Amino acid sequence: MYFLGFLLGLFALSSCIEISDDLTVHNDGSGSWKYKINLSSSKLKINSLLALDSLDGKKVPSLKEIDQEFQTIKRKLEAKSGISNVILETNYVDYIFKISCDFSSLQNLQAAVKELVEAENTDKNLPELGHNWISWDGEKLIRSIPELTLKKMNELNQEEINNLKQGIYTSITRFDKPVVKCDNNAAMISKNKLAVMLKTNPYSLIVNPNFLENTIYLSNPKN
Amino acid sequence: MKHHHITYLIATFFTCSFLGAFGQRSEDLIPQEAVTVFSINNISLLSKVSMDELITYEFMEEIQQEIFDGSTQGKTLKDSGIDFDQKLNVFYGQTERYELAGFTFGIKDKKQLFSVFDDFEQKASKYPGTEFYSSFFNNLIIKGNSGLLIRIEPTGENIDEVADSIWYERGNESPWIESGSTDGMDGDFQEEIFEEAEEEAAEGIIEEIPNVDKQTSELEKNYYELRDSVQVVLQNQLLDKLIEDLIAKNISLTSQDERFRAQLAHTSDGIFYLDNSRSAQNLKGLWYFQTMFPSLYQDLRSLYSGNVLLGDLTLNEHSVGFNMISNYGEELGEIYQNMNSAKFDKHVLDYIHEDNTAFFTYNIDLRKAYEKAYEIIMPILEDEKNAQISANVLTIELLNEFINKDALFNTYKGSMFGTFNGIKKIKTTKIEFYYDEETFEYGEKEVEAEEDMPIFTVGFTTARGDIPEKVLNHLSRLTSRFHEEDGYWVYEDAILESAPLYMINAKGLFIFTNDEDLAMNHTNGYGSESLSKKERKRAKQSGFMYAKIDWAKAIDRFPSDFFNDRQNEIINAMRGKTGLMELTTSKTSKEKTSFDLVYNFAGQYDSAGKYLLDLLNSIYVIVK
Repeated sequence: MYFLGFLLGLFALSSCIEISDDLTVHNDGSGSWKYKINLSSSKLKINSLLALDSLDGKKVPSLKEIDQEFQTIKRKLEAKSGISNVILETNYVDYIFKISCDFSSLQNLQAAVKELVEAENTDKNLPELGHNWISWDGEKLIRSIPELTLKKMNELNQEEINNLKQGIYTSITRFDKPVVKCDNNAAMISKNKLAVMLKTNPYSLIVNPNFLENTIYLSNPKN
Repeated sequence: MKHHHITYLIATFFTCSFLGAFGQRSEDLIPQEAVTVFSINNISLLSKVSMDELITYEFMEEIQQEIFDGSTQGKTLKDSGIDFDQKLNVFYGQTERYELAGFTFGIKDKKQLFSVFDDFEQKASKYPGTEFYSSFFNNLIIKGNSGLLIRIEPTGENIDEVADSIWYERGNESPWIESGSTDGMDGDFQEEIFEEAEEEAAEGIIEEIPNVDKQTSELEKNYYELRDSVQVVLQNQLLDKLIEDLIAKNISLTSQDERFRAQLAHTSDGIFYLDNSRSAQNLKGLWYFQTMFPSLYQDLRSLYSGNVLLGDLTLNEHSVGFNMISNYGEELGEIYQNMNSAKFDKHVLDYIHEDNTAFFTYNIDLRKAYEKAYEIIMPILEDEKNAQISANVLTIELLNEFINKDALFNTYKGSMFGTFNGIKKIKTTKIEFYYDEETFEYGEKEVEAEEDMPIFTVGFTTARGDIPEKVLNHLSRLTSRFHEEDGYWVYEDAILESAPLYMINAKGLFIFTNDEDLAMNHTNGYGSESLSKKERKRAKQSGFMYAKIDWAKAIDRFPSDFFNDRQNEIINAMRGKTGLMELTTSKTSKEKTSFDLVYNFAGQYDSAGKYLLDLLNSIYVIVK
């Protein structure tokens, strides 16, 4: 949790963090998920922070320790049921980190992510982990942001919030069948109708936690 | 009756005067082991600041945690029981065996004092008229109307030496194996220990193979418990010795050191004392010599004999002045005198912008310093009758003959300058994610970006610019990140793997800078935009060193997003107030060099004391 806390602090101190969350769902409910974090716009600041021994009383991890932690997360994800083909890419020059995996079902993906979060959190009793962030019935996909993430965002101070305003959060969902409609007015449908994108900044998520909630229909909803 | 009354009054007056003149003073409780002392003569200035306000300053956080607790609500320093008519003396000392720190102060009201130091418990005292209190690692000693708060810690090496000695004397094996610790120890190492022991047993050196599984008595301490006990005992021994010297024998720094005593008599607002001949920083470098070559160690130490720094602090309504004199013994004085006799390199001033935030110049003659040091130190080394030292002496003498000293000392003469010009946006690159409109497929592209960076320039005087040029040419062949432009060199991503470093080789100077504008547009200096004649004159007239900081500009130039809200609040207290700090030095003689640091300030502020505290806090926040 200390490592995640350091990363979160790093994100907040970065003037323009870019996060991309890319989910592909096949007709049978299997799919792939790619999560990317881009801190390249603050690499000078990050390099200067990593050169310190400590920051605000907390030890600053070395690049080796950070990489070890990422490798641990990758190994844990690989070991989860229904998860395969886990690929981790780390770029310590531009500070871009990508993790991707295939899943046999969205339930397996959700369970894997919940277990990872639980393992990294000192507070094992998190009611938010009981919530379903994503659900799929073959024709309709419902997505929302876990409140756990929002809680962490709310713990940030004003300076960190100001920095996060400049960041970008992109959420993409892809399907095998064309998308008919979305409930979220801010969502964009690709020209080929096979993908939906929602773009915002981390700060907007704090102001409006429901911003990323979206129901995507691959067929007309039954009345 | 009247006669008796007058006699009584006169007697009372003289008694009070006598007691006042010869009563316990706070400076009489400074241990003789103190190496550095800062003594405040008049802390009434600070009595105008409430304690609640004082403890909110960030630089007070650590002190607050040590001394004060929640009982300070609504209280000011005036309510702390401290006597403002006595000096407040902060001291520090370090030897190879221990470290001590603390302060002495006058006491006006003991009851008030203990409402602040309320976590101290009284201990038994064997010295009449003296009280002892302790709280964790801190000790409070009160004698008469003065107090000493002190912490004394044996060094880790000292504790290890004693603990190891007792541990092995009791027949124990290596503590790391016994304690089950795996720090640095693995199975292979343990196996190695056994093999060595077996060999020794075969040779009859030891009677039995050590048994690390040997059951030890539950009454016997393990290594860490023993070490902790040793630490406590050493601490108590050191404290007892110190107290005996101070209280029973009246041996203090004031009584033992005439120079310190004389400095204390100054009427300035504060004085500073540092005895460099006893400073552990110097001793650390010579520690090896003390063990291996004790007589050589003593001779080298004698170089620092008489090297005492004495300073005076003066607080005026619009300025703070600090004057310090660095005294030398004869030999060290000769070295410094030669070193600081360099002619001022006026070319450096061309590279200091008139609008700079801060700059310094430093003029020394390394060649002269080397030759004088060689003349003084070599005879000391030659006297040492030791094969290893003799070999080293021969090596130095041969190098002295073979090395082209002209080329060496003309390449790096010793003089340098530096400037700081606030924070600027510098060009970097970043990776942007983009998404195809048709499919929202993701891609990456490199684009230009900007980030904030402190802008600095450092330059060195050289009479052999061709030599650094050789090095740069060679480096440019090794990597494409190193390349020459029109009048300057660039090393891409040199700073924190992100920002370029520029190098200028011109006008007898070799300059490093991350200021793109200086490199691209001012390789021969800023011309009419460089320092004014008045400022140039100030720098030239100073001795070997000169420095100037415009605090108002420094604070204004730090972007507010560099700090969090709380830090910005502190720094904002200083915004809008002017503040110029200047350091000048005198010409160095064989006996001494004088340093003068003056901070002139103006603007709206409650009092000079509060201004000083705001300034100290701003400095603390910026450099933290």
